[in-house]
Amino acid sequence: MRTLSLYQEGDSIIHKIDPITKIIFVLITILIPIIMGTLNSAFAFLIISLTLVIIAGVIKKVLPIVGFTSIILVTVIIIQGLYYFNNRTPFFAIGTVVFYKEGLLYALEIILRIYSIINSVSLLMFTTKPSDLVEALVKKGLSPRIGYVFSSVLQIIPQMMSTVDTIIDAQRSRGMEVEGSFSRRIRAFIPLIGPAVISSLIDTKERAMALEVRAFNSRYKKTFLNEGTTFKYADVMQVSLISILIISIVLRFVH
Amino acid sequence: MFFMKIITVEHLKYKYPLSDKLALDDISFEIEQGEFIGIIGQNGAGKSTLCQALVGLVPNFYKGSYGGTVLVNGINVSKTEVSEVASHVGLVFQNPFNQITGSKLTVYEEVAFGLENLGLPVEEMKRRIDNVLNLLGLYEFRDKNPFDLSGGQMQRLAIAGIIAMQPEVIVLDEPTSQLDPQGSEEVFRVVQRLSEQGMTIVMAEHKMEKIAAYSDRVMLLHDGKLIDFDIPKKVFSREDIEEYGVITPVYTRICKNLDIKDENGFYPITIDEAHERLEKIL
Ligand SMILES: Nc1ncnc2c1ncn2[C@@H]1O[C@H](COP(=O)(O)OP(=O)(O)OP(=O)(O)O)[C@@H](O)[C@H]1O
Ligand SMILES: [Mg+2]
Repeated sequence: MRTLSLYQEGDSIIHKIDPITKIIFVLITILIPIIMGTLNSAFAFLIISLTLVIIAGVIKKVLPIVGFTSIILVTVIIIQGLYYFNNRTPFFAIGTVVFYKEGLLYALEIILRIYSIINSVSLLMFTTKPSDLVEALVKKGLSPRIGYVFSSVLQIIPQMMSTVDTIIDAQRSRGMEVEGSFSRRIRAFIPLIGPAVISSLIDTKERAMALEVRAFNSRYKKTFLNEGTTFKYADVMQVSLISILIISIVLRFVH
Repeated sequence: MFFMKIITVEHLKYKYPLSDKLALDDISFEIEQGEFIGIIGQNGAGKSTLCQALVGLVPNFYKGSYGGTVLVNGINVSKTEVSEVASHVGLVFQNPFNQITGSKLTVYEEVAFGLENLGLPVEEMKRRIDNVLNLLGLYEFRDKNPFDLSGGQMQRLAIAGIIAMQPEVIVLDEPTSQLDPQGSEEVFRVVQRLSEQGMTIVMAEHKMEKIAAYSDRVMLLHDGKLIDFDIPKKVFSREDIEEYGVITPVYTRICKNLDIKDENGFYPITIDEAHERLEKIL
């Protein structure tokens, strides 16, 4: 079964933590370095989230993302190193091009922040089943309809893509050329749109009706088959994480 | 034996929005609890529209102009929300794939979808899910992804999702038209099992041999009108039946050509009846 989920099976302690705690953690890794605005805080959060990624056993999945982002981040180093408005102290020069210390430090801070965000978001996405994530949010008050859209899209889009594959195969078996030059592909694409759009419109109507007869718009208060990932220390962790956030705000204003 | 009316339809008329033709034209009938009703008629006769009217999707999903009343278990369906009607009468559609919610990762959870919406306690949900999965022969697939099932299994899952809500009536709109022969057979078998358990069943279907074999009574629709509603033998023995675009069961056609009738003047409709008649003659 193809789904768009990033979830990686696993039984690390991180997998057992409930989705809401993880979401709070993501928010904190984004917010605290911004609030504190120091290199140390950015560095600290990178270390923390990287450690957690390693504990969760998903580092192999995260590295390619880090690698890909690094290509983009090189431009940050160049631009800030050359043009950061506080640039004063030359650090090194390549020929006549001078890189400044202030800009490079600033770029470093941005990079540390982005890497720590990547790590913590990855931590959430790779160790949480999408269905658990959505269900946790619905339990916290997200509209069940919006929740349904998120959770069904992950499965239905791959299914629709396989419908398109079926149509392509059908057209190809009738002798249509679906590969080759760009203009040929475009020409091949047009007769595909009709059947795909019509069938998905009919499907959508039928799907909507099928949901209706299963009381999708019921006025009863929804219950949940899965009690959810009940994590013993969820409350303690959430309170601690939020306290840390508050402390960082206080510290920032005291300074 | 005391029969209770479970469905009462009176002077039902319906026109789809933007259409100037009545899709249902002054239809009245009654169905008793535990009956198996077949709906037949050619394409466009109004079978699907009638099925949807029994659960209130007509008119509440489409809007359009509506007249008359549909009562199911005493509930006026058109004046009740579809989600409320759902715990009295369920509807199974043609395409099994479109009935899978897509928001659940296992067969077990998929069945729970409707029950969660009804706000049932977890214990009750689990009891019902185990029950219907066993009844429909799906228990062994409970941890599978619904999209990984075969067509016949998926359609049985759709039926399971409906049955779990414990409606008094289940309506099936050509439940096997998109299935291969094996899948169709699986679905017919579970429908028959539900019928044996006393469930009231209404099924629109093009496979006349199945209608002949299972139905207590058959409803013949044409152009939105109810032409006949009687025991299958009588309906299939109508001399004008082919004018309504209905191809009668193959056994009926053979006997008709051979002019073999039973003592009441009806043609046999199943293989067993045909066999019995032929033996008497030969
Ligand atoms: N959504 C719609 N909007 C307008 N007209 C519709 C709509 N759906 C069906 N109709 C019309 O209503 C009439 C009855 O259609 P219905 O789908 O109930 O027939 P059916 O007996 O189920 O046919 P089939 O055997 O093809 O499934 C037809 O004339 C059809 O064209
Ligand atoms: Mg139909």
